[in-house]
Amino acid sequence: MALINVASREIHCKIVYYGPGMGGKTSNLQYIHKQVPKEARGDLLSIATETERTLFFDFLPLDLGKVRNFQTRFHLYTVPGQVLYERTRTAVLNGADGVVFVADSQRSKLEENVDSLRELARKLKEQNRRIGDFPIVLQYNKRDLPENQINSIPDLDRYLNSPNWPRYEAVAPIGVGVIDTLKAISKLVISKL
Amino acid sequence: MDPQLTSQIVPSEETARIEECMARLVEDTGGNYALLLDKSGQVIAAQGDGNRQDITALGALIAGTFASSREVAKLLREKDFRMLFQQGVRENIFIALIEEQWILTIIFNKGTHIGLVKVLAKKATDELAVVLDRVRQAHKQRDEVLGSSFRTSMEDTIDLLFRD
Repeated sequence: MALINVASREIHCKIVYYGPGMGGKTSNLQYIHKQVPKEARGDLLSIATETERTLFFDFLPLDLGKVRNFQTRFHLYTVPGQVLYERTRTAVLNGADGVVFVADSQRSKLEENVDSLRELARKLKEQNRRIGDFPIVLQYNKRDLPENQINSIPDLDRYLNSPNWPRYEAVAPIGVGVIDTLKAISKLVISKL
Repeated sequence: MDPQLTSQIVPSEETARIEECMARLVEDTGGNYALLLDKSGQVIAAQGDGNRQDITALGALIAGTFASSREVAKLLREKDFRMLFQQGVRENIFIALIEEQWILTIIFNKGTHIGLVKVLAKKATDELAVVLDRVRQAHKQRDEVLGSSFRTSMEDTIDLLFRD
């Protein structure tokens, strides 16, 4: 839930990157951290295992500066994607204003994508959010892999995007689609403030 | 509160009361710092030594710790853990939940006794719960606070700042 502090004239919004393990959530935040001007971003904080898998979350605060006299901040989080960390995902999702669902385009990952999306829907429901009007943007990541290894866009749409959410194709480590996804979710979150 | 309410608006007069309550808590406990967080990790108010540059990350981590402990509580068939205590070599952190929505955090050193912090934090959480209740009741219309052209300005800023 966004927080609007009238006295200090600040607005804070929380955006969570959700999706199956090794799908590219952390890569999204790493690219955003590299790309956004220094004065607009804080440090990227990662709580990861020794093998750099996300253990709790990654956190990147973005400061958009003053908009109509309100200091506006977006806090970006990732969840740990591995099945084992379901309860941790619940904790990170708490109070989110919007979600980017990072799907792994690989054919072998389709079932994991579907399961993860179902889990997200269930968790939002548990937090009394209506998925129908909750800001969600889909990102189909790893589009640079050979065609025979990845699902086509119509196939991914059929399995993951029946609600017709905005969706972007991406190659997160080199930034393809990352900023477009961020723009889309930011604008959606602002529209629901 | 309406769970679909997407924004929580804290009016100026309530922020003043919150800060007054927290300043008193810091003074009475002899603590170093007090933070009031929203459950999503956003900092609502901070009081105490002004040298902390890291409160945004601190807020995110403390809220994460609390949310994580709530999941542990569920596994133990507890509703939640109302208080958490973390002990360091130099500083300690005491965290207390306010009505499932806000998190009060007090950072204090060895000179302060945990018992005193617990008692005074309880008093402060009771006071802050009353404020939270008023904030929930009196939520104003977004446009009343932000102005109707806010969204357009915000979109322009997003386009300007987020670029490849």
